[in-house]
Parts: sequence; C-alpha cells; structure tokens
Amino acid sequence: MLLSRVVKPARYTDGEWNAVHKDSASVRARLALVYPDVYDLGMSHLGLQILYHVLNSHDDFLAERAFAPWPDMEAELRARNLPLASLESRTPLGEFDAIGITLPYELTYSNILNVLDLAGVPIRSANRGQGDPLVIGGGPGAANPEPVADFFDAILIGEGEEAILEIAEAAAVGDRREAVAKLAEIPGVYVPSAYEVSFHDTGPRGKAVPRDGAPGRVIRRIVEDLDSAPFPTRQIVPYLDTVHSRATLEIMRGCTRGCRFCQAGAVYRPRRQRSVETLLRQAEEAIAATGYDEISLLAFTSVDYGSIQELVGALVERFGDRGIGVALPSLRADAFSVALANTIQQVRKTGLTFAPEAGTARLRRAIGKQMEEDHLFAAAEAAFSSGWTRLKLYFMIGLPTETDEDVAAIGDLVHRLVRFGRGALGARQGRLQVAVSAATFVPKPHTPLQWAAQDRREDLARKQAVLQDVLRGRHIKLSWTDPGMSALEAAVSRGDRRVGGAIEAAWREGARFDSWGEHFDYGRWEAGFREAGLEISDYANAALEYDAPLAWDHIACGPEKAALRAEAERALSGGEG
Amino acid sequence: MAQFICRYRKGDEVRWISHLDVKRTLERAMRRAELPLELTQGHNPHPRLSFGPPLPLGATGEAELLALRLDEAADPSEVKERLNRELPAGLEVVEAWAVPGHKKKETFGNLDVAEYRITVADGFEEQEVRARVRKLLESEELLVQRGGNRPEREVDLRPMILSLEVAGAGSEGIELRARLKTGSHGGARPSEIVELLGLEGEKHMVRYRRTGLYASSAVSRARPAGVWRRWARSRSEIERSSSQ
Repeated sequence: MLLSRVVKPARYTDGEWNAVHKDSASVRARLALVYPDVYDLGMSHLGLQILYHVLNSHDDFLAERAFAPWPDMEAELRARNLPLASLESRTPLGEFDAIGITLPYELTYSNILNVLDLAGVPIRSANRGQGDPLVIGGGPGAANPEPVADFFDAILIGEGEEAILEIAEAAAVGDRREAVAKLAEIPGVYVPSAYEVSFHDTGPRGKAVPRDGAPGRVIRRIVEDLDSAPFPTRQIVPYLDTVHSRATLEIMRGCTRGCRFCQAGAVYRPRRQRSVETLLRQAEEAIAATGYDEISLLAFTSVDYGSIQELVGALVERFGDRGIGVALPSLRADAFSVALANTIQQVRKTGLTFAPEAGTARLRRAIGKQMEEDHLFAAAEAAFSSGWTRLKLYFMIGLPTETDEDVAAIGDLVHRLVRFGRGALGARQGRLQVAVSAATFVPKPHTPLQWAAQDRREDLARKQAVLQDVLRGRHIKLSWTDPGMSALEAAVSRGDRRVGGAIEAAWREGARFDSWGEHFDYGRWEAGFREAGLEISDYANAALEYDAPLAWDHIACGPEKAALRAEAERALSGGEG
Repeated sequence: MAQFICRYRKGDEVRWISHLDVKRTLERAMRRAELPLELTQGHNPHPRLSFGPPLPLGATGEAELLALRLDEAADPSEVKERLNRELPAGLEVVEAWAVPGHKKKETFGNLDVAEYRITVADGFEEQEVRARVRKLLESEELLVQRGGNRPEREVDLRPMILSLEVAGAGSEGIELRARLKTGSHGGARPSEIVELLGLEGEKHMVRYRRTGLYASSAVSRARPAGVWRRWARSRSEIERSSSQ
C-alpha cells in the first residue's frame, strides 16, 4: 500500500472540506493548479485558493490541485511508474487541458521541472506537441520569467484573478498552436517562444526581442477594484496542520512604503484596499464555511490599512466571545501597532515581530526603510508593559554600502533592546526572548537595488560570524539564511534565459526542494550552472551597469527604469527617498 | 451546560488522516455546525472536547468516541444531525447521547481494550494462518523493539493480546479478530501483531478495522455507568449488523 510508506500521507488524500469535485464531462476546459512545493506549504498560499475559486465558480471550467510530492512519495511514484495526479479526481496531470503552476520564488524552480517530469509532460515547451497540456506560469516569480521561460508555453505577468478566465478560454481551444496564439493575445500574458533572446558578455545581459508582432513589452495585469474582486470565503480546510491554519482575509494589496530592496512593494502597485463592510461580510462567510478559530488579516503591512482600528475592533467584538481570534501577521515597529495588537490579544496572545532590516540609521536610510529607533523602543516599551515577553526582529545582511560596523550595530541594537526589556519586565525578565533573524539581501528585478551586487559567499560568512560573535546571551536567539541558498536565489532571480539550462542540469543532478535545508546542495547547483556554461557568481555577485540591457526589460511590472535608477543613485549616495 | 458522547465512524476516505487531524476536523465541524460549545477560560479559549484512544494511521474505525460540552441543553439527535451535515466524507457520527455533566477531563481514560478485525488479502492459506496464530498464542513472551526517536526498548506484547482468532476466509481475504490492550498504560498495535505473525509482506495488503473500544474494568472509579451500558448496546448492534 503506497500511502503506508510515506510520511504525512494526508498530503495526498484529498476530500478536505470545501474541496470542489466537478464532473469533467460538463466543462469545456480542465485546469490543474500546481503549487511547486509540499502540500503543507502550498495550501497556505492564498493565490492558489483564489484561482481555484474563480475557475470552479464558472460552469464551463474545472480546477483541481496538485503539489510537489515529497521525496519519499516521488520515490514511490517512480518505482511504480505512476504519473503525478490531481488530488480531487486523481487524474494524471498530463490529461488536463492546462497545468497552471505558481512561481512563488526561485528556490522552487527545480520542483517545477520535477512535477512536469512526474506528470509525463516534456519539461521544455519546444518539445510539447498536440495532446500535451498547456503549461502556464504566474505569480511573484513572473516579475522575471526568463530563467523558467523555456519550460512554459505562457506566463501571466501580474495578478491572476481576472486573466485566469481568459486563460481558461484559451485552454478550451483544442488545437495547441491555436491555443498558444490565443494566449498570446491576452493582455499580460507572455509567450516566451515569441521572443528571440540575444546574449552578450557574461552575467544577466540576455535581451529579449519580440518576433511576429508580439508586444515589445508585456504589461502586467492588475485588479483595479480589490473590493469587488472575487475572493474565496469557502476556503479549503486542510486536514493537516499547515503553515496558516486559519481563515484568511486579504485586507489590502500593495504597499506605499517604498523600501528599495522590496520586490513585492514594487510590483504590486498601487495600494488597494477592501472596505470594512466587505471584510466583515467575508469574515462571517469564511468562519461559517471553514470553522477555523482564527482570522488572519493579510497585507504587506496590515497597520497601514486605512481603517485598521475600526476593522479590528469590529472583528474582536463580533468573534471574540465565540473564541475566534484575530491575527495581524505584519506589524510596524511603533506604539500604534502594539496598541492595536493589544486590542486583539484580549482574545489570544502570540509573539510580536518587527523588521528594522538594518542596524544603523544610515543604512536604513540607504535602503529606504522608514523606521526610527525611537519608534522601535516605544513599540518595545508598549509591548513589554502589555505583557509580551517575546519579540522577533528581522534584519538583512549584505545590503549595498554595508560595512562590518553596520553588522556589528545589529548586535548593539539588540543588546540595548534586551537591556531595556529586562528593565521593563522586572521580575519577569527571565521570560524575555528576542529572536533575531538575519536574512541575506537578494537583489531583485524591478527594485531600485536590482543593479546591486550580492555579497560573495565568503563575505556573507564573515558577516554571519560577526553576528554570531556579538549576538550572544541567554535572551537572544539568532538564525540566518544559508549563504548558498541566497546566492542561488540571487542568481536565478536576476537570471536570463540561459539560466533555464542550469536549472535543468541541477534538477537532473537531483535538485529538489531547494528551500529546505535538508535537501539543498550548493555543489549540485554550481555544477548545474557550469554545465550550462555559467557561473552563479556572475549573476549574483556582479554589480550591473545602469545602461546595459536587463533580462527582464521586456516585462513591465514595476516602476520605470529611469525612476528606479534615480532611487538607486539616491540610495548609494546615502540620500533619503 | 450539557455533555454528550458521540460514537463516530472513521472510514476509508480518511484513514490516512492522523488522530490529531481528526480532532481538528471534528472541532471545526462543530464550529461550522454552530453548536454552542463550552469554552475554557483564559487567553486561549478552546472547546472542552475529549477523544477516545487514537486510532493507528491507516486503520478505519467503527466505534470511535468523542465527548463534547455545550453551554445549553440540546437533543442528542440534533447534535448528531447538525454535526453530520458539516463532516467531510468518511467521518460520520453514528449515535449521540447525553450524559450527566462531570468535570473530569479524561472522559475516556479507562478505555483500555480495543477490538480489531484484520483482513489479510491473498497470499496465505487459512490453515497456515491458523497455525501461526496458535503458535503465537502458545508463546510465553513476545518481545518487540520499540523506539522512534528515543533509544530502542523492548516490550513484551504477549500480555497485551487478550484474544486472537481466525474468523474465516472471505472474498477480501482471511479475517482475524483481535482484542488488544490499548491506552496510556501500554498497548499493542494491530500492525505489530501482524508483523509477529509474519503476514505483513510487501505483496500483501492488510486492512485494519477497529470495531470496539471498551474498559476491562467497566465499573472502575467514578465512571457514569450509563455510558458503558449504552456502549455495550451499541457494540452488540455493530456485531449484529456486520454479521449479516
């Protein structure tokens, strides 16, 4: 029995509450929606649930789910020669009209190839023929689609809830060539095969030139009115404990804070909100349909939502005495945020998270992070006096213009916060815990820092050693990102079409689940890049020239290049935004 | 305030869902059903629910038990029907009954015997299986290794096998019936018995059904006797329906 031989067999069994089972004979197009990581992560991804809901709400279309099988399941499937199938009807993915794959971020790309291979679908678009499903991508990674361009028949740039029905119409066309032609006509859809890519020099310099009347730039799709946009309140309730086991409300999309390293802030503009009235209705519906005991308010910075106090107050009043809590996953480091969190914590108490990103005011200014140290301490004071004893702080190392003094200053800031916390907590200071997470800066397309070099791995290792040295103490817990993972993320995120060859080579070498420490192998990726005639460092560690073409120049999904460049120059000269 | 006990079925569709996942699923179904659940006090209020001993992953159960407490009195059949409307395929409340409320948390703490029907699909002769069962029961000691994350330790399963017999061969294979000790004071998993019998081969499909849970000392401690009388009745009902 297959399921008796894998961990967490509930990843593969379907039948969760609110999963949709449709008769495939009654629809014109069948789409498989794939999240290229394990079920437990993928089911926490709101985008997948939105598209599933939009497609299945339509009489003519059907959507079913599939996820990357964990390596134990992959081994069982390969040993038995079984194709990867959808959860709902156990239909092999190759039999669908289209496979839609999320591009959540770069370290999932080896899983995309693996999913296609397990489905028996040729991994390269050029090798697919009549009878093979259309393979369509979309999601945050589409901001630079080039590294995966050869594996997809089409990639949607921007937000999917409107375009997905147009894509499903194209999937209903029986003839493959006709369908791809129809996809190419959809605004926001990028058909990689309609572009010729030329390369010069090393590094991310590939330039895509349109053929046959394809648009010179593909302009991203956005939802104009978030309030009336479709939203799934009948969210699928996994049996397994997933990353977010709660009802999710998307209160706001986009962010106006303009941090210069942040890709999400750059590509999800403008900032759009749902009304309090709509959100309260969606909250009632979601709780009634799911039975969750927590409502999570999703936004890049939920406290920036215009009527946040009114919304939170109304939710606590309505749901508090039913034992249903409210969660704000994204706070600002200021006293207002803590006061707000306090309203919520009348029902439930968890940790508080702040993101100073850098240790010195100078460096925070350079990266466009608007956070005053005074505000952080005011937030901490408010938190400690309201009973919190655990804080989580997010920092980044390897930022442009960063010196070892900036890194050491992280230690100084944390120690001052710990001393302050011990004083404020008095007799309860034993419980004080400050968790420090030090991620690595990754230059991302469409951000002002897209041209910046990532620190070399040896520099990152040195800075991490500095941090480990200064961040000692019984109240402090330090975690950091594997420098190899960060290098790979940078190389792929700024990659051109040749990087696709490196991804394929690394996958053939066995790369899977690269964001999981136990599966990541830097050597395998180094070899994969070399096999494609490339070096990871050429993509990750090079400062790009402002005037040189970028691999993603033909993708219009963020601020114009001139505006980004002006911001970049301000950042490097130490100026404010 | 009212307390109810539900006997529920965990069927094929959900047999790969863990005990913890089943608990979560039932709790969410209760919330969807808008049952007026009694909540604990404190920062993290949660409903007061108790569950019978966990069912091994992969097994189905016909006599699983849960207890829930409501803020208001309700008709047990209404509790059952409202819950069943909100349960995913494979989970079903078979019967529900009201019991006098008591503060004791471990409602099912004295359930220490589980009855299983084990079906071993093709590959073995009935006589061969009978011989192996006989030999197993003649053993004075049945030592097996247990461990997981902890260092391995040896456990004697013999005293945990209360009965074991071959019920016969049917279209699905040879059926064994076993009554095994279960619960927090030590127990035997049915898969361990199958392994001891050498019936767990690569080719052979083994199916486990838990058909009953009961207490070896039904009158122990402050257990409301009504629960167990009621329980005994449902057990005989199961046996009647499955022997048809």
